[in-house]
Amino acid sequence: MSLEQFKNRNVGSQTYKMIESEPTPESGMGRFGQVVKRTFKGELFVGLYVTMREMINALFIGEMHTVKYPLEKLPISPRYRAIHDMLRLLESGHYRCIGCGLCEKICISDCIKMDTRYDENQRKEVSEYTINFGRCIFCGYCAEVCPELAIVHGGRYENASEQRAGFSLFEDMLTPIDALKDQKEFDGFGAVTPNADNAIKKTPLAY
Amino acid sequence: MYEQVAFYLFSVLTIGLFLVTVLSKNLLYSMTSLAAGMVMISGFFFILGADFLGVVQLIVYVGAVMALYAFAMMFFDATRDIKEKNANSGWIFLLGGMIALMLVIVFSAPIFSENIQAIYPSIPGATNPQSVGLVLFTKYLVPFEVAAVMLLVAMIAGIILAGKKMDQSLTTEDDIVKTEVISQEDEK
Amino acid sequence: MEIVNVAVLPEVTSAGVIIKAIIILAIISAIAGFGTYLERKILAFMQRRLGPMHVGPYGLLQIAADGIKLFTKEDIVPQNANKLIFKVAPAITAATAFIALAAVPVFPDFTIPEWIPLLGGTFVPSIAADINIGVLFILGMMAAGLYGPLLAGMAQANKWGIIGSARTAIQFLSYEVVTGLSILAPIMLVGSLSLVEFNNYQQGGFSSWMMWQQPVAFVLFLIAGFAETNRTPFDLLEHEAEVVSGYATEYSGMRWGMFFIGEYANMITVSVLAAVIFMGGYNDLGFIAGWLIVVLKIAFVFFLMLWVRASWPHIRPDQLMWLCWKVLMPVAVVNVVITGFVMMV
Repeated sequence: MSLEQFKNRNVGSQTYKMIESEPTPESGMGRFGQVVKRTFKGELFVGLYVTMREMINALFIGEMHTVKYPLEKLPISPRYRAIHDMLRLLESGHYRCIGCGLCEKICISDCIKMDTRYDENQRKEVSEYTINFGRCIFCGYCAEVCPELAIVHGGRYENASEQRAGFSLFEDMLTPIDALKDQKEFDGFGAVTPNADNAIKKTPLAY
Repeated sequence: MYEQVAFYLFSVLTIGLFLVTVLSKNLLYSMTSLAAGMVMISGFFFILGADFLGVVQLIVYVGAVMALYAFAMMFFDATRDIKEKNANSGWIFLLGGMIALMLVIVFSAPIFSENIQAIYPSIPGATNPQSVGLVLFTKYLVPFEVAAVMLLVAMIAGIILAGKKMDQSLTTEDDIVKTEVISQEDEK
Repeated sequence: MEIVNVAVLPEVTSAGVIIKAIIILAIISAIAGFGTYLERKILAFMQRRLGPMHVGPYGLLQIAADGIKLFTKEDIVPQNANKLIFKVAPAITAATAFIALAAVPVFPDFTIPEWIPLLGGTFVPSIAADINIGVLFILGMMAAGLYGPLLAGMAQANKWGIIGSARTAIQFLSYEVVTGLSILAPIMLVGSLSLVEFNNYQQGGFSSWMMWQQPVAFVLFLIAGFAETNRTPFDLLEHEAEVVSGYATEYSGMRWGMFFIGEYANMITVSVLAAVIFMGGYNDLGFIAGWLIVVLKIAFVFFLMLWVRASWPHIRPDQLMWLCWKVLMPVAVVNVVITGFVMMV
């Protein structure tokens, strides 16, 4: 079923298949006849056949559905919003965050706290950056508002930890410097859409 | 030797269990001991070599007491004691005395048992069910058939008594009307 | 009719009977425990899952883990329950299940080899107590086993328990009739109630199996057997979706485990009965040895129970009663009458 069909709320216009059901028998003989018919029609054996087919498929053709979770993991969508990642610039390895504070401002659960100062080169430096994951609702606004795509949602969805502070420091979320070559560009929530060039329109100044 | 041990074991257990049946005020105790006592009686048949009768005793009384349980479940709260009302203690004395008399007769029977002879001695070589069948279908054919007819009559009477309103729904008439309306709408 | 001369067989000593009893107790209770593993595995495969995997290779030691859990779990007796009956009920289920197995021939006769010290040369009979009326004894014992759920449900002062035991009563009272009547026709053909005689009747290989002569009785017996062992199309007593856990609602720990062992031992008993009465017993089939073929048959019937559980929905109590009294019992009676006519003519 495609998405359009699924979202069609005009009841009656769908191409539903009606299942033929015989009327409930009224008399005793009718009911007996129904039992006889159902017994010899083989419906019960179709049921047996289906389960046996599934068992053979599962055992010998490998259509087992189980994912042994801690050992195997299913791939998640890039749009999934899990624990945040702080990305680095690929060229210099410096973190991307420019300390603008937009994420702190937009955070609706008020869980991002950041502090900045000017370093010796008069550049803005993030001196402190924490996210309180006890409050975060993973709405994704911070990733969407970030002008540099510095804060994004990563794929770490296993949130159990021994301490509350487990994930929340800037250094914890920042891509490790030696794993920089493995850093993937984020294409999830807040990222530039793939067809952004076509979708862009002229600004009013061009007219 | 084994047979004597088994006999006395079964005797004590049977009498004890039936005493519990009579004396206990708890529904579950008395009925469970009744069922257990019936099973113990079947043990006597096994000791006597009458396997068939023993098993029949087992099957018949297990089922019968199960039906009794079903009624008890409907009428009483099984976890509470039952308040008994003994209005007619004269009857109890009479029946108790008769049972005591019967016990005396039963216990004194072995004294005369040498004079007792079976009218229809079991046929040598015939297995248990066979000898039961031979006696049932020759000498006792008429009582057997009469009993069968009586049970049939009781069964048919029970079906007729219970079956008058069997096909009617237990829901109120309003509900029936509603469901009929709904089903008619479905048909349209 | 062929009557096997009993005198040909070696003498059955009490040592042999005791060995047989120990074999039955040890093997069947182990298999009954293993049956839970098999059930979980097969149900899982039929639903494309893996089932127990973590305890031992392929989860084989799951039964040990379950056993440890059941033994060490707290044994709770509810406050308002009838405590004596509550404690006795699981023992009834487990004990009757094994007593019934005393009259079941599981393996053919064998003699312990002479080189084994102490017991060498002891003749172990195929059946612990060959009491001539094996079939009736097993049916009676399995019927008595239903007192376990009945008493458990009534003693525990729980409404789900009461419903469970009421369902036990109706299921027992109705399906006992069908079991007896369905097995009556084969009994008439064989002319004996002994399971050994049933086995000897079907010595002529595959074509002499009782299920070809009495297909209706075979199907009826299977249906009634499912009902007597509370397997899925008729598992009214403890159906979770309706009555929480029925008669076993208040049970925990080993008392609950005894119900479980009794249920699986009963499943094995019904499987053995079906294999011996209808499917040729432990006679050799072609080149396959008798003990192997009977194990295969028992395993198949056991598997059928699990297969059906995975495939079919269960039915309502009123449908159960309707099916029993208005369909199965008349069919069974007609089957008995027709068998009688054929035998007379």
